[in-house]
Amino acid sequence: MTSPAGQWAALPVAIPLVAATIISFFGKYWGRRTTDTLAILAAAANLYFCSHIWLAVRHAPLVYWFGNWWPRGNMALGIGFVIGPIGATFAVLVSFLSVASLVFSWRIFEETEHTFQPLMLLFMGAMCGFCYTGDVFNLFVFFELMSATAFALCGLKTKEPAPLQGSFNFAITNTVGAFLILDGIALLYARTGALNMAQIGRSLQQAHPADALVLLSFLLISVGYMVKAAIVPFHFWLADAHAVAPTPVCVLFSGVMVELGLYAVARIFWTIYQFPLASHTREVRAIFVALGITTAIIGAVMCYQQHQLKRLLAFSTVSHAGLMLIAVGLLNAKALAGFALYAVGHGLVKGGLFLCAGIVLHRLQKIGENKLHGRGKGMVFTPALFILGAIGLAAVPPFLLLAGDANVSEAAKPFGLAWTEWIYMFAGAVTAAAVLRFTVRTFFAWGEPAPKDQASEIGELPETEEEHARVPAMLFVPAAVLIFSSMALLFIPQFRGVVDSAGEFFTDESAYQSAVIDGASIVLPPAPMGPMRESAEHNLIALFVAFVLALVTVFSRRLRYLESGFAPLRRLHSGHPGDYIAWLAMGTAVVGGCFVVWLR
Amino acid sequence: MSYFMYGVAVWIFLWGLYGIVTSKNLVHQCICITIVQSSTYILLLGIGFRTGGTAPFFADIAVGTPVVDPIVQSLMLTDVVVEATVMALLLAMVVKANELAGSIDPDDLAVIFG
Repeated sequence: MTSPAGQWAALPVAIPLVAATIISFFGKYWGRRTTDTLAILAAAANLYFCSHIWLAVRHAPLVYWFGNWWPRGNMALGIGFVIGPIGATFAVLVSFLSVASLVFSWRIFEETEHTFQPLMLLFMGAMCGFCYTGDVFNLFVFFELMSATAFALCGLKTKEPAPLQGSFNFAITNTVGAFLILDGIALLYARTGALNMAQIGRSLQQAHPADALVLLSFLLISVGYMVKAAIVPFHFWLADAHAVAPTPVCVLFSGVMVELGLYAVARIFWTIYQFPLASHTREVRAIFVALGITTAIIGAVMCYQQHQLKRLLAFSTVSHAGLMLIAVGLLNAKALAGFALYAVGHGLVKGGLFLCAGIVLHRLQKIGENKLHGRGKGMVFTPALFILGAIGLAAVPPFLLLAGDANVSEAAKPFGLAWTEWIYMFAGAVTAAAVLRFTVRTFFAWGEPAPKDQASEIGELPETEEEHARVPAMLFVPAAVLIFSSMALLFIPQFRGVVDSAGEFFTDESAYQSAVIDGASIVLPPAPMGPMRESAEHNLIALFVAFVLALVTVFSRRLRYLESGFAPLRRLHSGHPGDYIAWLAMGTAVVGGCFVVWLR
Repeated sequence: MSYFMYGVAVWIFLWGLYGIVTSKNLVHQCICITIVQSSTYILLLGIGFRTGGTAPFFADIAVGTPVVDPIVQSLMLTDVVVEATVMALLLAMVVKANELAGSIDPDDLAVIFG
């Protein structure tokens, strides 16, 4: 506890909670601008403290016990934050995206004055706590807090039925996922009598090979967090929620909330289940990578069929979440660092693209591709941002996603999974092509108008009153900053170096346990950075394919079926919460069946 | 005793899921969520239960008296609080849906799909 950052560990949760309370109590007496300014200041303060904590923990993880309830012997008495570099990086991303979204919302939402900012701040605080905590039940509580605020934020525009549907499906699916997590935690507690992840890990160290109870708890917890991470077949809620949520909220949903689901899967695997499953690492890897590949492919295919911009971006997030699950599922330190780099790069690019969608909605009052054909002619900077974002999705230089992709493909080679690089290229090319297709139709009026589509027919309630002649700086600057920072981060080798070496600590269960329970001070050794050239070449090919695919779809009448999609797959996305829960149950049963067959 | 509790928890969980999947009424669907939730209570209480244990108030009992596990109860209480919030939100959405669409059938609410 030498640096002041050691005392600040609780602030990224405390500041948003206090600010949210103040704004919701006094907001009605103050003007809209005052509450806006306060919210932005609170988020900026959060960003400041998160960044300081990041700087403090970049070479040595930080353990903070609330109320100084230090562990006695092998027993953690209190609740602790265990802040490693990867968690700290995600917390900085959360605060950064929150500042951008709050600045963006300065010019929109005239009517929902007093609920929006407090909910955004609560959401931010819950996600920061989620990144920092070292206690498995605490992780669940922050998960529930961020879910509850997310449901409310998603259904904020209640003047039409679509946001209600999206929010309702989101809430039902994620609540059932939360019960799975709670049941898993209860089983872990029943076995170990502990809730601190390091302590659970230590008492399960001898439980090897894993018995049925440990396996069942792993199944329940990982499936529960994969619901949040939108992994097929638990992904259905995501598209419904993103298509209708207010744009600044989508930035946080797609940019970081989904990724945090995968962060939690990695967290519990490496701190709790690493030793019990040590002899079955290969099988766990196969199951996770298979789920990731399915998600990446189905997400990309569904993405290309969409003509409602926000729903298109939502399915692109599903696809990229699949890619990130491949990274997590390789169960390797280097791949995990790759996951963190990819998640940060993707969060910034996708956040920027969602803000661009918000600009389109503000400027042109429509979001369906068929209604927007050629309407954006004359706009210069917004299409430029869209094209940059599309290039970023293909993970080509100079975007941070490339560093993540390079790490993952480097790590996949020893396992004979080098071909997952093809999945990265496929998902990157298709999701980039979908954004490019939208861009050339809307802003350049190329080719035929897009076909009609159920989702694009839903007249989204505009977030601002009338059609605007120009794009205000408050909308454009946050979008541009997000996309450009995703590029800038690739050129800061210190950042990449820190995340690379953090992967080693994240996956080292013994070091984690001695840091948390024995109070040992750990210093992270620098890790060598891998080459990026090979991945860069592959992804440039993917980007070329993306351009060709977009242009072919737009201009060729005969190839129009490419974007009308695969009807049976579309029908599965029925919009019914009951169907989604049926898929959830089936997915859990299938993954559980794989566990029974391979992990016994 | 304990195995029976786990069986009950699984039984209630599955019936709750069945209710959510087949429901044709949004209020009914919310109630089914509560049913799934109550299965987690039974699981938690079953884990913390000790035969012959008394309530975990340590002020007026002799040292060494067997008590039931207080931690699972606090876990449960946390879950009750959070889910009460979520349930209030869900029911508010159902009211809003009824105002907008004049129906609380999930079929009528599903406007975005495919």
